Amino acid sequence: MKRRTRFLVASALMMLLPRLALAGDVKIVANPSLKADSISASELKSIFLQEKSSLGDGAHVEPVLEKRGPAHEAFLREYLDRSDDSLQTYYRALVFTGRGSMPKALGSDAEVVAYVARTRGAIGYIRTDTIAEGVKTLFVIAAGNAPRKIVTRVEPQYPETLRKLGIGGIVRLAVTISPKGNVESVALLGGNPILGESAVIAVKRWIYAVGSSRITLEVTIPFDPVP
Amino acid sequence: MHRRIVEAAIVCLWACQGAVQAQEFKLFDKTVQVHGFASQGFIYTNDNNWFTMNTSQGSAAFTDFGLNMSSHLTDKLLVGAQVYDRNLGQLGQYHPSLDWAVADYRFKSWFGVRGGKVKTTLGLYNDTQDLDFLRPFALLPQSVYPADLRDATIAHVGGDIYGNISLTHHLGDFSYTAYAGHRSDSIYSGFNYLASQFQVFYSSYGGLQYGGDLRWNTPLKGLLIGASRINQDLSGKAKFISPYNPAGGFVPYSDTSKADWTNQFYGEYIAGKLQIDSEYRRFLHSDIVNGGILDTTDDVRAWYVSGAYRVAKRLTIGSYYSRYAITTAAGGPLAALFPAQTDTSLPANHVYDKVITGRVDLNRFWNVKVEGHFMDGYGDSLYPDGFYPQQNLQGFKPNTNALVVKTSFSF
Repeated sequence: MKRRTRFLVASALMMLLPRLALAGDVKIVANPSLKADSISASELKSIFLQEKSSLGDGAHVEPVLEKRGPAHEAFLREYLDRSDDSLQTYYRALVFTGRGSMPKALGSDAEVVAYVARTRGAIGYIRTDTIAEGVKTLFVIAAGNAPRKIVTRVEPQYPETLRKLGIGGIVRLAVTISPKGNVESVALLGGNPILGESAVIAVKRWIYAVGSSRITLEVTIPFDPVP
Repeated sequence: MHRRIVEAAIVCLWACQGAVQAQEFKLFDKTVQVHGFASQGFIYTNDNNWFTMNTSQGSAAFTDFGLNMSSHLTDKLLVGAQVYDRNLGQLGQYHPSLDWAVADYRFKSWFGVRGGKVKTTLGLYNDTQDLDFLRPFALLPQSVYPADLRDATIAHVGGDIYGNISLTHHLGDFSYTAYAGHRSDSIYSGFNYLASQFQVFYSSYGGLQYGGDLRWNTPLKGLLIGASRINQDLSGKAKFISPYNPAGGFVPYSDTSKADWTNQFYGEYIAGKLQIDSEYRRFLHSDIVNGGILDTTDDVRAWYVSGAYRVAKRLTIGSYYSRYAITTAAGGPLAALFPAQTDTSLPANHVYDKVITGRVDLNRFWNVKVEGHFMDGYGDSLYPDGFYPQQNLQGFKPNTNALVVKTSFSF
C-alpha cells in the first residue's frame, strides 16, 4: 500500500477509534476549550467531589451533573462510588458549612450536552449512545499502576518504512478491558498515527487477567528504530 | 414578637416547600447561591426534664433555622456567609448570630486556606451538628455532640489550612485540617445557664482555640478513620452573688482555664444502604476561679456506636448507644462546696443512652423523624450534660425515657 494511502487509512482509523473506545454505560464529555483528551479516574472523582477545580494543566473545570436517570446512576456507580443520596448529603454538607457550592444539575443528556457545549470548562456525563455535538469526549484512565496483569501480549509490528526512515516514538493508547480480560476497545491518545495503527492492531489481541469490572488503562508502547 | 416572626416564617417555608428550591441569581456577573434550612422538634420525657425545657409536660421549644449565600468570585475563591438562629428551651432564645462567614481559596487539591468565622473540624459531625437534615437521627449522640454546648466547639474566628492528599499504591487518601482562632460563646449557651444556678452570670466567655484533624479514606471501600485534637485557652468574665454575703450584691467573677483539650478518634463505614459510625472523645477542662479561690477539673470520657440502614427510598431506621461519664475534682478555699465525683457508676456521673430512630423523607426537601431515648443517669455535675437543676427542682430520677419528634426542611 502506498505511504499516502496508508496515512489516509490510519487517519480514518483515528477518527473511528474514539467511537470504538467508548466504554461502559456512560461517557464523559467536556467543553472543547479543555485541551486534555483524557482524564484519570481519580482526577474525575476529585473534580466532582469539589476537591479540585482545575485539571493538571491548570484549566478550570466546572462539573455538571444530571438530576436522575441511567447516565447519572452509571456515573455515580462507576466513578464516584456513591449513591445519589450520599452524594447529595456530601454536597449539602459543603454548602451549609461554607466549603463548597451546589453543582449544576440538569434534567437530561440533551441538556447536559447543550450546557457543556456553551460553558467554558464544563465537564459532564451522558449515556454512551447519546450523540454529543459541540462537545469533546474524554477517555477516563484508571489511576496508578495497571491493576490487571497481562496474560497474553502480542508485540506490534514495526512498519518497515518508518523503521528504515528512523521514525520512532511513544504511542499512547486508552485500552478498555472487560471483566473477562478481553480488550473491548482501543483509542489512540498520542503518538505517530501510523505507529499507532500498528499498536492498536496488536493491543486488540492482548488478553488480561480476569477482573471484577470493566476498566480503561493508559498503555504506552515505545517504537525504537534502533534495535 | 421575634419568636412569632420566626414561627410564622417557618410555617411559610413548610407551606411553600414544594415551590422553594435552592435559588441563585447573578450579581456583577457572578452567580450567587442561596440555601436555607429550618427544623422544629418536640420532646416528651417521662421523668427528668431535659435540655432546659419542661419536657415532662411535652415541649416544642426546639427550633432552629439558617440561611446562607455564597459565590465563587474566581475559579478558586469561594466566599459566603450564613446566619443561624435557634431556641432550645432556655438556650439560644432566638438571638440570631453569624454562623460562618468565610473566604476560601483552594490553591491545589492538597492545599487550601480559609479565613473568617469558620466551622471547626472535630470528629465526624462537629461542623455539621446543626444540619439535622443530613442524617437519620433527630439528636446526635449527646455524649460526644451535646446540643446544649454547641458554642464550645462549633466555630472559630480565625483561619484554617486544609487539603486532600492521594496516596500511591491504592492506599486511599488523607484529608487534613489545621486551624487557629478565637472562640466566643453566646451568653445563652448551656455553660452559662448551668453557672447561673450558682448565681454566676457571665457577660463573656471564650478564648484561643487551635487544633487539627486528620482522616484517612482507607483502601477498604467505605471505611474512613480519623483523629482530631483541639486545645483551648479560655477565660470568662461574670458577676456573682456570694452565698456567704447575698446582701452584698454582685461582685466580680472571673475564671481562666489551666487546661482545656479534647482528643477525638472516629471511624465510619458505609456499605450500600448501611452506615456505621463510632467515636471516642476524651475532654479535660481545668480552670481557676477568681485568682484561685476555687479550681475545678472536669474529665469527660465519652463514646458511641451508631448504625443506620435505608430500608426503602424514603425510610431510614437507625440506632445508637452513647456513653458519657464524668469525674470532677475541686481545690482551693471553696473546694468543700464541690466534693470530688469519681464514681462513674453513680447516675449523677454518667448518662448512658440507648436510641432508636426512624426517618421518613417526604420529598427531597422535607423529612420527619421519630426517635426514642432510654437514658440511664443524669450527670448532675459542674459541667453541663443535658440535665439542669433549674428544671428539676424536685431532684433527679435515675432514668429518663424521651420521645423526640422532629421535622426539618432544607433547600
